[in-house]
Amino acid sequence: MRQAAAALFGAGFTVAACYAAGTIVIDRLGAVLRRDERIPLAFVLGAACLHLVIFAILVLHIGYWPVFVAALAGIIGISLRGTAAQSSKAAPPLSWPLRVVFGLCAGAFSILYLVNAWAPEASPDGSGYHLGFVARELRDHGFQPITTNLYAMLSEGVEMLYVPAFAIGRHSAAALVHFAFAIALALAVLAYGRRIGKPWAGAAGALLTFASPVVGASGSAAYVDVATAAIVFAVFYWAEIWDEQKEMRLLIPLGLLAGYAYAAKYTAFTIGIYALGFVAWRSKRLRPVLLVAGCALITAGPWMARNWIWYQNPLAPFGNWLFRNPYIHIIFEHGYSALLRTYYMPSLWPLPLEVTVRGGFTYGIIGPAFLVLPAALVALRYQAGRRLLLAGALVFSTYFANIGTRFLIPCLPFFSLAIGLAFAESVPLLGAMMVFHAVASWPPVMKRYVNLNCWRLVRFPYKAALRITPPEKFLMENDYGYAGARLIEEHVPKGEPVLTMTGVADSYTTHEVLVSFQSAGNQALADTVNMGWDVELQPRLQRVFRFEARPARRMRVLQTAQAAYPEQWNVHELRFYYQGKELVRNSSWRLRAWPNPWEVQFAFDNSLATRWRSGEVAFPGMYLDADFGSEQMMDEVRLVTSTDFEKIRLRVESMNSSNVWEYVAENPKLEAGTIPAAIRLMAISEMRERGVRNLLIYDSNYGAAEFAKDPEAWGLKLVARGEDTRLYRTIW
Amino acid sequence: MSPRGRADLSPRGDFSPARLRLADVRVKGWGIVAGMKRRLALACAVVLVEGGCQNMPEAYAPPLQRPAVENFHPYRMQAIVSMSDDDAQTHFVQDITSLATSSWRWTGKKPTVRVKARTGADLRYTIDFVLPEKHFRETGPVNIAFLVNDRVLDRAHYGTAGNQHFEKAIPEGWVIAGQDITVGAEVDKVSADLGIVLARIGITQ
Repeated sequence: MRQAAAALFGAGFTVAACYAAGTIVIDRLGAVLRRDERIPLAFVLGAACLHLVIFAILVLHIGYWPVFVAALAGIIGISLRGTAAQSSKAAPPLSWPLRVVFGLCAGAFSILYLVNAWAPEASPDGSGYHLGFVARELRDHGFQPITTNLYAMLSEGVEMLYVPAFAIGRHSAAALVHFAFAIALALAVLAYGRRIGKPWAGAAGALLTFASPVVGASGSAAYVDVATAAIVFAVFYWAEIWDEQKEMRLLIPLGLLAGYAYAAKYTAFTIGIYALGFVAWRSKRLRPVLLVAGCALITAGPWMARNWIWYQNPLAPFGNWLFRNPYIHIIFEHGYSALLRTYYMPSLWPLPLEVTVRGGFTYGIIGPAFLVLPAALVALRYQAGRRLLLAGALVFSTYFANIGTRFLIPCLPFFSLAIGLAFAESVPLLGAMMVFHAVASWPPVMKRYVNLNCWRLVRFPYKAALRITPPEKFLMENDYGYAGARLIEEHVPKGEPVLTMTGVADSYTTHEVLVSFQSAGNQALADTVNMGWDVELQPRLQRVFRFEARPARRMRVLQTAQAAYPEQWNVHELRFYYQGKELVRNSSWRLRAWPNPWEVQFAFDNSLATRWRSGEVAFPGMYLDADFGSEQMMDEVRLVTSTDFEKIRLRVESMNSSNVWEYVAENPKLEAGTIPAAIRLMAISEMRERGVRNLLIYDSNYGAAEFAKDPEAWGLKLVARGEDTRLYRTIW
Repeated sequence: MSPRGRADLSPRGDFSPARLRLADVRVKGWGIVAGMKRRLALACAVVLVEGGCQNMPEAYAPPLQRPAVENFHPYRMQAIVSMSDDDAQTHFVQDITSLATSSWRWTGKKPTVRVKARTGADLRYTIDFVLPEKHFRETGPVNIAFLVNDRVLDRAHYGTAGNQHFEKAIPEGWVIAGQDITVGAEVDKVSADLGIVLARIGITQ
């Protein structure tokens, strides 16, 4: 029960501080808002400001809970001494039918979401990386560069608010903060409808968004999608307020929020374009645009700067072809992006039905009521409708980069309001639509028509929320990654990392979990480990170039063919020979590779369990280059490779005294390589060399049986066994 | 940083992939922007140049060379059953009781475990156990025989209570590589059917 109370307090304290920060800024700016819009807008604007405060605390490495409490209490204190009530005015009252329909429907969903958010955090990404990094930042009392997890490179605008909440009330407090964003979003949409004199449209828009099943699933977990939607809509709202009042100072919250949208989720950057375009169009001056851009830079800039300094890429983990870095392989980004564009859907034609009714591929639905979305075009007859649809279309424009249903959440408020406006003249129809949407989105009804894999709320876990059901039990039953995390926590020596092929609930372990695909380093490590059992990856081939003996100071192997995804060029070892004897590598050699120069040593370490990989689809011009420091006689170049590439064409070149590359040989002779009997031991030895002694394998992972059959052949010992996992540790 | 974080960066690289790419980008970039206004072209150029301004490494020295395949022995073989192991019970053969904490177990007269060794060369018997004070008062001094595949490797006399460690080389030929081996100890005196408090037993190389 104490945990439950702490979660509520942590969330409440953080939300109060956000609201307080927002009211301070609004009052300082002298913005005139109605009372119903002041609450959500102040909260979201305050969140943008508070996130910068938390960012600064973590940069300074003073992230101790008393510091957070002092910062939040200070903000609340300043706000209480201010003139909070002066700038607000009353809104016209809502009709009683609207209050009944909206109140009953939204009230029921609020309770459902509240209880789910309050229960122990069991969502995959919430208990995984969103709160995993929050927990780590709190352990470290500040930011640390994390180069082993691509998700650490995403901006954490919303997670910054989870930091103080988590420090006080742990996981559920963070989820409750997100739930507060869901409430704020609904209130803001409702308020906007009232602002434009269409309260029923506002209520319909608010309910269509709020009761949308994917909003419920995300908004009651420690995700960031609903918060992003609230921020994006707040940008639109402030643009409208500025347009009405034409006060230059109102562009400050507009800019801050536009930047904060990027800080919350990269894909929301388009609302910044809307803000800049709208201000440019309505003011016809450069200064207001520059003010918006400058303020946006205040909230978005720190994240870009962090990424540029730490990860050599301001857009990390994307844009790696432009900002090359050692942390993400370009071919991974290529494949991952392609996956996000399809989610394994054979065709995108059924996508409208998938995201509204089925939800099996794209994880979640927005609800069948959104099938009437084309009718929203009727709203174009209103000025507000045109603006809503334009903003919504801009926010929607990034959707096809990731067709997961929750990536629709940020454009839902715009499209919901547009639907509301389209039917604004027919109140009974709107009321019926609201009731239909609420009923169709209610979990027991939903389960009758959605796909079994559809991500949605399926429980009303009030006992878990109140901690009557022990959190451990609840999480074991509901969080797939929890058991793995606990296995690690209980059996791995403190401070040691763990390599795994499948992610775990990071936030429930204090260990660094290296998931095979989450960084270039992890991929190289997993490639090595998997080499123990996957014959495709093993050094089964030697490509031998023999030529007339010649002196050379520098030699390279050039790749000349264009391959197709996912074929890359891989080299286990590159060796040079003279009269059958290998040239001994020494420290005066200098090795280069293009692309992926950072891993070139893998081709020169004398280990058949490691390999240099191009990290990109093979293209002409790739090379491996060795500068021997002085002229060496040689008559043979030998590449030890795997067989998992076919289109590669290779040529050996030598650099002459004029620093020009000269042709030496091509069309290598193929010879069978010898797989060392100890390849498994060599693979694990490499893993240990890189400071990793623990390996978590799920029974469902490829190769799991090979580890389980004879761990000692790998130099491993089974340390612990979960229901579907095995934890191994190196014997030595 | 290098893949292993210990390579040298060459200060004398005369050929940089980064520079090459930058040159490519500039040429392509200029072609694209040729018809645009100068200010826009400049902005594009800045973006593209920044794209090329990356912290690319010049060159690396060869890393530490791994041992040749034929000499690859990264560790000494170890087949020890610790009572704290989760899978310890799967190795028990006889006389190891369930009277235990997470790190030790009471045994009977002849505690024995089964392990497997991939080699028969250079093996050593090893055991860590305790003769508890109170128990020792009841049994008095004890003699313990240390067994490998039921053959007595050695015997020892213990006249005092406390923590004990015994270790001895196993003669060549006693163990066949790849086959199960039983490793045990036999106490000459027990009290209430209890012999010693066992922490770990097995073979090392």
